[in-house]
Amino acid sequence: MKNLAIQLDGVGKKYRYFTLDNIQLQLPPGQIMGLIGPNGAGKSTTIRILMGLIHQDQGEVRVLGHRMPAEQVAAKWDIGFASEDMRLYDVMTLDWHMRFIRSIYPQWDPAYAQLLLKRFGLMAEQKIKGLSHGQRVKATLLLVLARRPRLLVLDEPTTGLDPVARHEILRELTAVMNDEGRSILFSSHNTQDVEQISDQITFIDRGRIIDSMDKEAYLDRWRRLRLEAPTGIELPALPGVISIRQTGRLAVATSNEFGPGIARAYENSGARVQTIENMTLEEIFVAKVELSREEHQEVGA
Amino acid sequence: MTRSLVRTLILADWERHRWPVIFCIASGVLALGLIQVGGELPFIFGATWFFTGLIVLACILPGSNVINERKKQTLPFLMSLPISITQFTAAKIVSTVGLFIIPWLTLVIAAVLYIAGHEKFPNGSIPVVIALASLVLVGFCLIAGVALVSESEGMMVAAMVVSNSSYGFGWYLLVRNAVIRADMKNPEIVWNTEILTVLGFEFAVIVLILGLTFYLQSRKRDFV
Amino acid sequence: MDSGILISQSDKRPIYLQIIEQIKRRIALGDWSEGQPIPSIRQLAVDLQISVITVKRAYLELEREGVIVTQQGRGSRIAPTPGLGLRLHQEELQKHLEHAARLSALLGIEQKELETRLREASDSLAAKEDQ
Repeated sequence: MKNLAIQLDGVGKKYRYFTLDNIQLQLPPGQIMGLIGPNGAGKSTTIRILMGLIHQDQGEVRVLGHRMPAEQVAAKWDIGFASEDMRLYDVMTLDWHMRFIRSIYPQWDPAYAQLLLKRFGLMAEQKIKGLSHGQRVKATLLLVLARRPRLLVLDEPTTGLDPVARHEILRELTAVMNDEGRSILFSSHNTQDVEQISDQITFIDRGRIIDSMDKEAYLDRWRRLRLEAPTGIELPALPGVISIRQTGRLAVATSNEFGPGIARAYENSGARVQTIENMTLEEIFVAKVELSREEHQEVGA
Repeated sequence: MTRSLVRTLILADWERHRWPVIFCIASGVLALGLIQVGGELPFIFGATWFFTGLIVLACILPGSNVINERKKQTLPFLMSLPISITQFTAAKIVSTVGLFIIPWLTLVIAAVLYIAGHEKFPNGSIPVVIALASLVLVGFCLIAGVALVSESEGMMVAAMVVSNSSYGFGWYLLVRNAVIRADMKNPEIVWNTEILTVLGFEFAVIVLILGLTFYLQSRKRDFV
Repeated sequence: MDSGILISQSDKRPIYLQIIEQIKRRIALGDWSEGQPIPSIRQLAVDLQISVITVKRAYLELEREGVIVTQQGRGSRIAPTPGLGLRLHQEELQKHLEHAARLSALLGIEQKELETRLREASDSLAAKEDQ
C-alpha cells in the first residue's frame, strides 16, 4: 500500500537491558492509531524511532513517505510531536511559545490558536511555570494542533489529566479527522481513550508487537462467556479460549478468537452458557498481558 | 528554510537570556563607576567586581543554555522542530558563545575607553586588562565546550572548577613577569613580546577549544 | 445537522451497536424521515468523538439492512423506503418479543403463562393511560 502515513518494517533497536524486536507497523492516512502496552514495553522508543530522534539498528522507517532518520528534517515540517516527558521553557509565556512556533511554521492558524486558547481555558500571557500540569499539557498540545500538521505523533497526550481536560483534548483530536489526509498516532495508558477514538490498535509488550489491527475487528474477536457447569461436568479446553476460571459451579471463559462454535461446544459438553459479553479494551489488555506473563514464566522455568 | 530556523533558535536563546547578559554589562559598568569614585578600596572592589560579573556569566550561560535543555526537559520540544542534530548543535554553539562574547566585548571596550580617558590610569595597563579578561574568555570557552560535548552537569561543574581556579593563578603568573609589570605603568600602550605571547596563547587555546567542540558535536548522530 | 446521538459509556454494548440502535429508533419514532440526509461517516465520528471505523461499521450494517443508503461523493441518507419507520418499529417489537420468549424458556415458564403475563402487562399499561 502506497502513501502510508507511517511504515515501520522489521525495525529493531538493542539496548543494554531492553530490545525492540521486529517492529512491523502501518498506518494508512486519515486514520488514528492507538499504541498500548505496559510500562517499559517500548512505546516511547518506537515513537522516537519513527520521529527520527533515535536511529534504529535494523529495519526501515518511512513517515509521510520520508525515510527516517535520514530525511527527518523534511518529515518534521509536517509532523506535530508531543511527549509526556517534554517541557516548555518555564520562564517564558505561552504567548512567547506561540510566536516562536508561528515564526517557524507557515501553516500556523492564528484563528484556530485563539479558539483553542478559549476552549482549553488558557491565558497566553501566563508563564509556563505558573501553569498546572493539565494546563501545561494542553498548552503543549495547542502548539502542536494550531499548526494543523499532517501527522500528529503523541506520546501519552492525556496522561494525568482530569476528565474535563481529557474530553477537551479528545474533542480536538477527533476533529482532526475532518480532514481525510491527516493522521494521528498516539500512545496511551488510558485504554478507554484508545478504545474510543482509534481506528487501528497496536499492542506492544516487551519490545514486540503482539497485535496490530483494525480496532472493531480486534474487539470483535474477544468475548467473555459466563458458564454454569453442573458438578461432574468437565469443561473442555477449546482452541480460541485462552483462560477458564472456575469457582464451584460457575465458570468464566475468556476467548480471543470467538466464534459461534465455542458456545455450541460448551453447550454440548453439558454446561449452560449464561451470558456472552463483549470485553472492554482494558479487560483485553489485562488478559493479554497476564497470559503473556504466564507463558513467559513457563518457558523460563 | 532551515537556515532561518537556525537563526530563529539562536534569537530565541538570546531572548531567553536577555536579563543575565544585561545584568552582567550593567554590573561591569557600575564597577567602573565605583573605581571612578576614587581611592584604593573602591578600586580594589571595583576591579574585582568588574571581572566577577563576567566570571559568573561564564558559569551561568552554559548551564542555562545547554545543560538545562536536557535537565528541564525542553530538548524534545526542540528536537521535534524541523532541524537535524547538526543544525541544532551548531545553533547552540553559536548562541552560547555569542551570548558571552557580546557582554565580554562590551565590557572590554568600556574598560579600554575608561583607562584611555583617564589620566590616573596608565594606558600601559590596557594590554594587561585585555589579557586578564581574555583569560575569563578562555575559561568560558572551556566550560561551554565541556557542557556542549558532554551534556553532563557534573563535567560542566568540573570545568567550572578548573576555570575558576585558573584565573587567580593566571593573573599571578602574568604580573610576576618583570617586563609586563614594568610596562604596565607606562602612560603609553606597550605591546611587548611577553604580553603578545600571552594574548596569542590565549587566542590559540580559544580556537582549539571551539574547534574541538565543533568537531566533536558534528560527530553526534542521535538526539537522544 | 445535530445527530442527537449520544454514546453512553455505561452501556456495555459496543458503540457501533448503540449507533445503529439510536438511528433506527429515531426513524421508528418519526424524528427522521425516509430519504432525509444524515451526517457523513466522518462528520458523525467527529461529532461523537469516536473513531471513523466504528461509524463506518455502523453505517455498513445499516446499509446492509436497507435502513440507510450511502452514495459515493453524496453522503448518506435514510433509505427512501416508504414505511421504513413502521417496519423498524415492528422489528424492534419482534426483538423484544423473542427476547421475552427466550427468557421464559430459560426460567422454565410455560407458554400459557407467558401469554397471560403479556396480557396482564398490556392491561396494566392501558389502565395507567386511562388515569
